[in-house]
Amino acid sequence: MRTVHVAGAGYTKVSEHWERSLTELAAEAALAAIRDAGVERVDAIYLGNATAEITSHQIGISAIVSEELGLSGVPAIRIECGEASGMAAFVQAHAAVSSGLVEVALVVGAEKLSDLMPEEYNTVYTMTLPHETMGFAGITPAAVAALLYRIYTERYEVPQEFVAQFPVLMHRNAKGVPHAQFPFEVKLEDVLSSPYVAPPLRRLETTAPCDGAAALVLVSGDSLGSVRSGSVTRVGGVSLRTDYVSPFDREDPLFVSSVALSVEEVLLRSGIDRNDVDVLEVHDSFSIMAPLILESAGFAPRGRSGLLLKEGSYDLNGEMPINTFGGLKARGHPFGATALYQLAELHLQLTGRAGKNQVEKARSGLAISTSGFGAISGAAVLLGGDGA
Amino acid sequence: MRSGIRPQEHWRAKRFRYRLEVLRCSSCGTVNMTPRRVCRRCRSTSLVPERLPERARLLAFTEVKSTTDIHEETAPYLVGLLEFEDGTRIVAQLTDVDYEELRPGMEMEAVVRKIAQDGESGVIVYGFKFRPVIA
Repeated sequence: MRTVHVAGAGYTKVSEHWERSLTELAAEAALAAIRDAGVERVDAIYLGNATAEITSHQIGISAIVSEELGLSGVPAIRIECGEASGMAAFVQAHAAVSSGLVEVALVVGAEKLSDLMPEEYNTVYTMTLPHETMGFAGITPAAVAALLYRIYTERYEVPQEFVAQFPVLMHRNAKGVPHAQFPFEVKLEDVLSSPYVAPPLRRLETTAPCDGAAALVLVSGDSLGSVRSGSVTRVGGVSLRTDYVSPFDREDPLFVSSVALSVEEVLLRSGIDRNDVDVLEVHDSFSIMAPLILESAGFAPRGRSGLLLKEGSYDLNGEMPINTFGGLKARGHPFGATALYQLAELHLQLTGRAGKNQVEKARSGLAISTSGFGAISGAAVLLGGDGA
Repeated sequence: MRSGIRPQEHWRAKRFRYRLEVLRCSSCGTVNMTPRRVCRRCRSTSLVPERLPERARLLAFTEVKSTTDIHEETAPYLVGLLEFEDGTRIVAQLTDVDYEELRPGMEMEAVVRKIAQDGESGVIVYGFKFRPVIA
């Protein structure tokens, strides 16, 4: 197995891009990543996308994207793993480069959700749950999040604000970030007075339909010499795991084992432990998902992540900064692109290009991406500085 | 876009949706809700059809305010997490009850109700919802 490096990153703003198509967004991010990496060639394209056939009437979308990039002829594969599609694409690209099959891989995540009507968006999002037993009966992701929220606050006897303050932190980190969907602050009172989506879950504890694309260029250690990029990180490791799709079929609905296993595995493969992680990206698709993931991944004792947030541990200058550009809540959650935003943002942190959001002396970053409530979870470690 | 309801698909799922019929693994006891060849937990092939009890305990509940295309006309509606005596949990819509009346621990029973309709002239599908047991 060869070392695999991130040589460049690119992304669009997360927004409602009414004037641009899925492929245009993918191309914008990909071309920016190729430019950032300074590569002359791309040997393979891995496209993370969850909903192209619904949002853009397109299957075989990978060939449309390769054509858009002027790269027709290059192998191009679309990978669909729900909201974790971007991480799954990254994992596959990593495998191709580390094995020697590919020297330079382009990983693009792209999603176009803003064309959907609200009930269409709900329909698509509900496809992350088992249709035969849940989606059919009108059980939406927001309903599942609400039930988990109730169980969490009751079991650990914590006030609702221990969960509801996660969106507040995300918005604080996203403030002034040019690529964030919601680059402004919200107060805890705003979150707790926003309309119910499914009580106790409120509107400002969820994400909103959006469009976006993010891309990374992966280069093998053997080919790194031919790359002009001045900002390289190394992929410490990757891991992808699955679990029962409904959290209520698991022994403990509050324990996301796909997160626990993928994080354990990726740390082992990277040769680091939790204390070595300087920046962490978690999949906060709903407010309650942030504590569930932090606790399942072993970054907080069960039921205690809200307290750690309150104490400032997850702030940009805290012990374990999370979602430094606003996470899913405030940077935005364009499903298949989300994990590539997470990884692109880690890459910025580790190459000292995070601007006002820079975490001092960040040397290693961990991204955790999840689909649904942990049906599929993937994790990746990027290493900067001497470790790159 | 309408996701639509395909009669064939609903027909295939009728055992669970109409009768709460599941496949219990005779090796490890796990309940598998939809037809399959091997147990999702232990991969045993000895799966035996069984009807879940009609009564279950309410663990948690919520109210869905905005929903998918085929359920839009019935929103808002109540949703509960229910646990059967053997520990099997399912999520279902609740009916014949107001949000304010719901309490964790309530005993509920399954009833067959209309679940969704595919537009004005489309297929209507039925399935179970849960309502409070009236003592």
